[in-house]
Amino acid sequence: MTQDSTTGAIRFDAGTLTLQGLPASAVKLLFSDVPWKWDPRSDCWRCDALHYRRIAEIVRLCQIDLDVPIASEASVVFPSMNLPPLRMEQQNGLAAWLSTRNGVVVMPTGTGKTEVALQAMAESRCTTLIVAPVRDLMYQWHRRILRGLSYDAGILGDSVMNIRAVTVTTYASACIHMPKIGDRFDLLIFDECHHLTGPIRSDAARQSIATQRLGLTATLEPTDAAMEHIEHLIGPVVYRLPIMEVRGKTLADYDVVRIPVKLNPPERARYDLLAEQIASYVYQRREEDPAFQWRDLSAESLIDGTASKILKAFREKESIEERAEEKFRVLEDLFRLHLGSPIIVFTGSNLMAREISIRFLIPCLLSHCGKRERLDYLEGLRDGVYPALIANQVLDEGVDLPEVKVAVILGGKATTRQAKQRLGRILRRRGDARATLYEVVTEDTNEVKRSRKRRRNDAYPRARHRPS
Amino acid sequence: MLTRELAIAHRENGRIIPDRLTTAAHAIYPELARRMIAVYESGIRKTRQELHRSVARILEEDRDCPIRRMNAFCKLLDEYGRFDRGKPKQAADLRRRVFAIAAQHHPMIAEPESILDHSESAAKQSIARQLGVDWPELRQRLYEDLIENHRLSAFETPQDPIDLLSRYNVAQTQAALLDATSIRIEATTDWKLILRYAKLAGLMHSISETKNGYRIELDGPSSVLRHTHRYGASMAKFLPGLLSCQGWEMIATMRCPRKGSSNRGYPAGPILELNDRSGLRSPVARHASVDSEIERTWMEAWETESHAPWSLVREGEILVRGQRVFIPDFVFIRDPSANREPSCHDRTVHRQAGRVLLEIAGFWTPEYIHHRSESLTLFSDIPILVAIPRQTARAWDGVPWSPAHRKILFGRHLKPKDVLPILEELAPNP
Repeated sequence: MTQDSTTGAIRFDAGTLTLQGLPASAVKLLFSDVPWKWDPRSDCWRCDALHYRRIAEIVRLCQIDLDVPIASEASVVFPSMNLPPLRMEQQNGLAAWLSTRNGVVVMPTGTGKTEVALQAMAESRCTTLIVAPVRDLMYQWHRRILRGLSYDAGILGDSVMNIRAVTVTTYASACIHMPKIGDRFDLLIFDECHHLTGPIRSDAARQSIATQRLGLTATLEPTDAAMEHIEHLIGPVVYRLPIMEVRGKTLADYDVVRIPVKLNPPERARYDLLAEQIASYVYQRREEDPAFQWRDLSAESLIDGTASKILKAFREKESIEERAEEKFRVLEDLFRLHLGSPIIVFTGSNLMAREISIRFLIPCLLSHCGKRERLDYLEGLRDGVYPALIANQVLDEGVDLPEVKVAVILGGKATTRQAKQRLGRILRRRGDARATLYEVVTEDTNEVKRSRKRRRNDAYPRARHRPS
Repeated sequence: MLTRELAIAHRENGRIIPDRLTTAAHAIYPELARRMIAVYESGIRKTRQELHRSVARILEEDRDCPIRRMNAFCKLLDEYGRFDRGKPKQAADLRRRVFAIAAQHHPMIAEPESILDHSESAAKQSIARQLGVDWPELRQRLYEDLIENHRLSAFETPQDPIDLLSRYNVAQTQAALLDATSIRIEATTDWKLILRYAKLAGLMHSISETKNGYRIELDGPSSVLRHTHRYGASMAKFLPGLLSCQGWEMIATMRCPRKGSSNRGYPAGPILELNDRSGLRSPVARHASVDSEIERTWMEAWETESHAPWSLVREGEILVRGQRVFIPDFVFIRDPSANREPSCHDRTVHRQAGRVLLEIAGFWTPEYIHHRSESLTLFSDIPILVAIPRQTARAWDGVPWSPAHRKILFGRHLKPKDVLPILEELAPNP
């Protein structure tokens, strides 16, 4: 601030860039496509750090006498590289990204996005921050970098703050810390980059000066409203590999088997009672206010005791569906049927995951698991130490799993994205063996609706019903 | 502090009103608070889940108590306590052993149909026996490291059940501020303290003078680029400090609610209003005025007689350059009865005449002198008198002095008769 004012200077300031010492006319003329904004609070021009690439380009091209000391040009040395050769589609993805070094590579789960990213890092050899959705995936990246590039990456997240030239982090930590570290990385890799939404999370990309940006995702539909947003923050989709193209080649073939279960009489009675309470409340509210919508309820429940009770009733109803007694019997059957073959069970809630863990005494992967414990479970499933594994959302995305041929879904949310990612878990090809996905659904409840919605998705063309 | 998920607020004509428990409208709450505290006091060794269930049962007596309020009280009560985290490593080791042994009994069947089936109850008993415990105990220990199974190990009882309610009220207002995009404060007295708390919270300020004091607007670097609530957490952090100050009114602008819901007449987002008379009790003790002995004796010496036309005001003026702020200890005002016209002491605005600032150099460390001389350089056009104790004068050697600044050395006490001539010199009668 007390800088010599004869030459201008650009500085990184808490996730933004500031420019001082150039007259307004020069700023407008030179940086016509940079959204500099005058900041009277500190007498400077200011914009998101995101625009650094363009700004640096202009300064270089126009040979402007500006002090720009923030380029992170330090190159990174990877002690030794041990990366598998890329398959054709991976090579195409990498080449497409390298041509601009700003963009998104869309590849289905299980087709080796991580390998593409590791190769991109090996090519770039620059300061790199990898942003993953959850802690587990962050640690997984750490392991993959150690294995593939012999580099012990720094960790930012999970109460660890060890920043190195190559660092792994989560979206939550990245957006909190970016004002402090936004000038330290030249390459950003966003794993499952469809997570880069929302006003604060977007700061993970916006507040960094990184000139190279790679987004990885399995599910960025061209129709996604988020698409434009991601393009602004990372770059356009540079490569897209549709899921159908790899079926039967890279991924195994699979069947979807739906198993309907019934609520037992006490569950059914309680369920119907709650449904009745909710329906009459909604009916009454609609009488008073025809515009009343279900989603208003959660807002009202904050201040209104009755609305709060109704919401509670709704949650209990969901929980009866999800934790129906018969599901445990179905699990007994499936475990018997596939004895000797590792099984992964997905649940809709932590509570259900833990109930199954205690009921069958099989490991469950929840967020409480430490790094070591998690690794032990994953390896143990692969090596046959444990016959099965239970997981909730933790495994929704990208966590590398040992190959399994059987997966069971016990309730869950009805989004196609989640379904795709869950399917991706069992689509590992091994020889000619086909995989089976069991969907256990409570009959005559909302779960049936959710299951149908889930199948409305290009990954579910061959759903079969179990003959009863 | 509460998270957004525990925040309760309702909106009324574009105003955000955080949940607030008052003895008038919530007469049973002091009693409920007493019982909730008792649950924790007698709950040592109970799990978090058990404690939270008991709290929920107590609050259910208020038929209108929403779930979030129950959860918020649980969170605040937890903060008075300490929990035993249940030895995560040991629990994980136990799990691994149990699951590995259990693999031999997989799958465990509740009602075996043939002798080939593993009976669930027999298997569990046998596993527990191998580990030297019984099944109910094993079951309890299996997940004892989970947050809801942590056991209370200590609890610091609030002095008064009302303290818990005050803490709750402040916490709800803080939680509401998580969605704030900017804060505007009209300060009439404690602006130095307010600015200090704002700086501690990492906020950026814009300051302008008003009739009775200063208007302080607080936000963060990106705020100039877009409406962002990313600094809401800093604003929430700032609140307890602000609540301990006097003489202020605050308006926080909140982010626009989700699309579709109307926000009639408040295109910038709803607002939250608060002032020093709102009755929210700060958990922070009021910062004792930083009076040093020298300042106090100086003040007393000045007040023994009139020094017309000069009067003295303590910390009466803020000097601002961008994000640098300098609040000298005193300001001398010539003829204060004349109306004080608002003016901003920024380089863009012409200063009004008839004012001299006084800074009493309380320290002599190199860092302090460096920092002060930086401030002085920044405000080299403003008449400032720096009073330096004679025995520390050497430490100031080499510090450059601008024509608008004077230093005055003093022995035991700074005396008005030594100061007055310099005032006339720095700000002559027009």
